[in-house]
Amino acid sequence: MVIKEVSTKLNNPQDIFDPDGENAIIIKDLVKKFDDVIAVNGLNLEIKKGELFGLLGPNGAGKTTTINVLSGLLKPSEGTAYVGGYDVRNDLKKIKELIGVCPQEASVFKFLTGRENIELFGNLHGMPKKKIKERTNSLLKLANFTEASKRKAKGYSGGMTRQLNLLIALISDPKIAFLDEPTVGMDARARRKTWEFIGSLKEQNKTVILTTHYIEEAEALSDRVGIIDYGELIALGTPKELMEKHDAKNLEEVFLKITGRRIMEGI
Amino acid sequence: MNIQKILALVKVQLKKLIREPATLFLMILFPAMLTFFFGLGFVGIIPDPIGHPEVTQFDVMVPGLYAFVCIFIIMTVAMTFSEDRERGLLRRMNTTPLSSGEFMGSHVITNTFISVIQVVIVVGLSFLMGYKGDIGGLGIAFIFMIFLSVCSVGLGLITATIAKTPGAATGISFIFIMPQMFLGTYIIPPTGVTQVISMFLPSAYVTDGITMLFNGVPLTNPLIWIKLATVALISVAIVIVGIQLFKKYGNK
Repeated sequence: MVIKEVSTKLNNPQDIFDPDGENAIIIKDLVKKFDDVIAVNGLNLEIKKGELFGLLGPNGAGKTTTINVLSGLLKPSEGTAYVGGYDVRNDLKKIKELIGVCPQEASVFKFLTGRENIELFGNLHGMPKKKIKERTNSLLKLANFTEASKRKAKGYSGGMTRQLNLLIALISDPKIAFLDEPTVGMDARARRKTWEFIGSLKEQNKTVILTTHYIEEAEALSDRVGIIDYGELIALGTPKELMEKHDAKNLEEVFLKITGRRIMEGI
Repeated sequence: MNIQKILALVKVQLKKLIREPATLFLMILFPAMLTFFFGLGFVGIIPDPIGHPEVTQFDVMVPGLYAFVCIFIIMTVAMTFSEDRERGLLRRMNTTPLSSGEFMGSHVITNTFISVIQVVIVVGLSFLMGYKGDIGGLGIAFIFMIFLSVCSVGLGLITATIAKTPGAATGISFIFIMPQMFLGTYIIPPTGVTQVISMFLPSAYVTDGITMLFNGVPLTNPLIWIKLATVALISVAIVIVGIQLFKKYGNK
């Protein structure tokens, strides 16, 4: 079982706190409960610095809850996690300086232009004015969004709003980016363009945690993939490793085999 | 406290005021229209023709109008917070290093600034419409209004904590708006019962204080300062309660 392998790796206490080590994120026995619903159930996971990690799972598997705990929006019920070496239980201020979060719902100020939205979040990160301008310009150019950014977000299509949603997450040039289903609702062309953009983050040596429903997206972008279901990590490895292990042609088949088997087994 | 973050948020909230017609109407045009129509309707009515033939009904009502406009901040704050929460913007801002003090501070600053604009409009327009108050105490009147705005921000936060949607926030805000509007500003002539109730309404202290100031009561009169201190205490208490409640239960 993959879970056992991961748990064994973390048994050495020195592995837990890893500020200068190779891991950007360490999740240790993480549990998150909402009343009597267990959304995350004893999750153990390490994500390396500079890695693009795909977190997959069916609806309600606990992907967003995990990201919400890692980004400080939710407190763990049990266990903990370390982001950039800082504990989510005690060092949220430090963590927030390191991360950029692209939430699942496109959260933008509709009455502001695209550029104003991005610059606002640069200010909220306390970046110097000059750096905000430079970074905004470079992000807009990279995403081919410069012209659109002059218009108010109210007039954007769904895909454009999602693009803006992603750019806002990256204004602070975060070391660790949480992208929670960043391409949902985008048409195929916009999605491909966004994949390229997300791929470019890897070249910038950023740690990216990507949750997605599009299995081909995870397969195309991720260095490693973790599949969670019912709040538990049920598979972990590179897309190639997982395909080999489960004798599958693609990651989608792996996903269906693993999650389908759990349904059949009544887990 | 990081001034850059606070100013960036103040700028956004002011842009909302200018760019969103509903907010612009409620915060700027509504007070202006209110003053205009009250002026039009009441400037010719003399409530006490024998005792004070020079005092019109409009003169009696104007201090209450100043308080009246600040009370509507409750609705705009409640709507703004509910909308931002519904759109996930509060959660998103919560993933940045912005502190809750900076966030709440920006709202207090913005709404205080807006209330100053509102009062300038209402003061200017009321004098144009024939109001004959003594403007010597205008500076202290502004301070009364600022405290009432702070109080309204607090009540707006309490409303947003209770309300689940912006629509509900609009409705629930009237629980706080109506008594303050009708019983605390003397738009309705005071009776024994309303005077007892108004002892618990910050707007009543503001209306009383401004009435005294505009009637030429000197600043040496301790009653003005007692009323100001009362409004200040109530406002600070309400805004603290509002912030704590919203932080604990409203930001979800």
